Amino acid sequence: MALKILTVDDSKTIRMIVKKAFRPYDCEMFEGENGIEGLAVASKEKPDLIVLDITMPVMTGNEMLEKLKSEDSLKDIPVIMLTAESGQDNVMQIVKMGVTDYMVKPFKGEQLIERVEKILKLEPKKEEKAVEDTAKKYFSEDDGIQFLALPSKVTRPISVEVDSHLKEKLEEMKSSGLKKFILDLRKVSETNVSLIKLILLIIQKCEKEAISIRLVGSPEMGKELKSFQETSEIPLDFSIDDAKANF
Amino acid sequence: MNGINDLDLKDFVTKTLTAVFDTMLSMKIEQIDGGAEGIDGGNQIVGSVGFAGKVMGNVNILVSNDFARLMTAEMLGMETDKIESEEEVFDVIGELCNMVGGGIKSRLCDSGFTCELSIPSVTEGNDLKIESRGWDRCEHFTFKCMENNALVQIYMKTAE
Repeated sequence: MALKILTVDDSKTIRMIVKKAFRPYDCEMFEGENGIEGLAVASKEKPDLIVLDITMPVMTGNEMLEKLKSEDSLKDIPVIMLTAESGQDNVMQIVKMGVTDYMVKPFKGEQLIERVEKILKLEPKKEEKAVEDTAKKYFSEDDGIQFLALPSKVTRPISVEVDSHLKEKLEEMKSSGLKKFILDLRKVSETNVSLIKLILLIIQKCEKEAISIRLVGSPEMGKELKSFQETSEIPLDFSIDDAKANF
Repeated sequence: MNGINDLDLKDFVTKTLTAVFDTMLSMKIEQIDGGAEGIDGGNQIVGSVGFAGKVMGNVNILVSNDFARLMTAEMLGMETDKIESEEEVFDVIGELCNMVGGGIKSRLCDSGFTCELSIPSVTEGNDLKIESRGWDRCEHFTFKCMENNALVQIYMKTAE
């Protein structure tokens, strides 16, 4: 049965970040904009975990926590508090309130999940199998070389998707002793910020793992890359055979 | 405890802003010389958060509307053309301002200047000018992020 997670924050942005962090897991998400809404949802749904902001209008996170702890049916629900303040006094105050854990903003979704996994056992969604299959859309292996072929337009979601599989692929390469990586840009027809950032990220991660990387693309792509300061010095091969020969 | 003139506000602001931009936006920023003139003169957005206690004041973050939209897209993991409304931009700028304000407030508290933080507010307009009279300290720092600039203003005085 899906775990019920309640996120209470006056910022829609933070609620989205929290929801996104739980997306790969079998969880049902609930939201509240302030302590009063949060309490109402908590009473109705009896969530397995509450991710609670402190500074909110109408009713603060501290006030909501106090009310939760005074209700027999709600007092045992684990609560992770979010705070923008890392000062010693603030942290001491949070700990004294009896929260299960706390996170200081800024935070990344994966950091939140790490904390949650200490409290709850998160199960991947069944559809995650399909996500694994999507990795095959971009990654392939041939002749002892790892290939990554980017699509015609790299949007931010695609960039995130590729990045999420990249770490795993690099680890696989490390364990199987592969040392060559070809980033295939031949299908890419639009150069944008997401593409440039992704290229830089892939190069950086390959270099960190001591993996040789070559980029393959059209002469037009070569011109495009030269027009960006960050990618102007990156060599580009015009065919896979050239890239293999240039390793 | 030293006075507020001894606080290294440049260090407070730079460390906090760098952490927020890096973690939430995956953007690298660097502090540069210059002031408000570094911000595009057109449509601008300013996020503001106040603090009050042993020390009181404000932290403002001023960016161009274009940069605010880029920041919003990064934070929400989408393209800028997928931003549905200005409300989303305001929410992101407000939340970033809250994080920056929270970081600075924590450093103030750890330096002995205990204070509380207000809920952030966000304003949009053309050629915004922020007056800062009657404060003991008023500092502004400009940060460069790719081709965009962000201006952080901080002004404060000790409570009477």
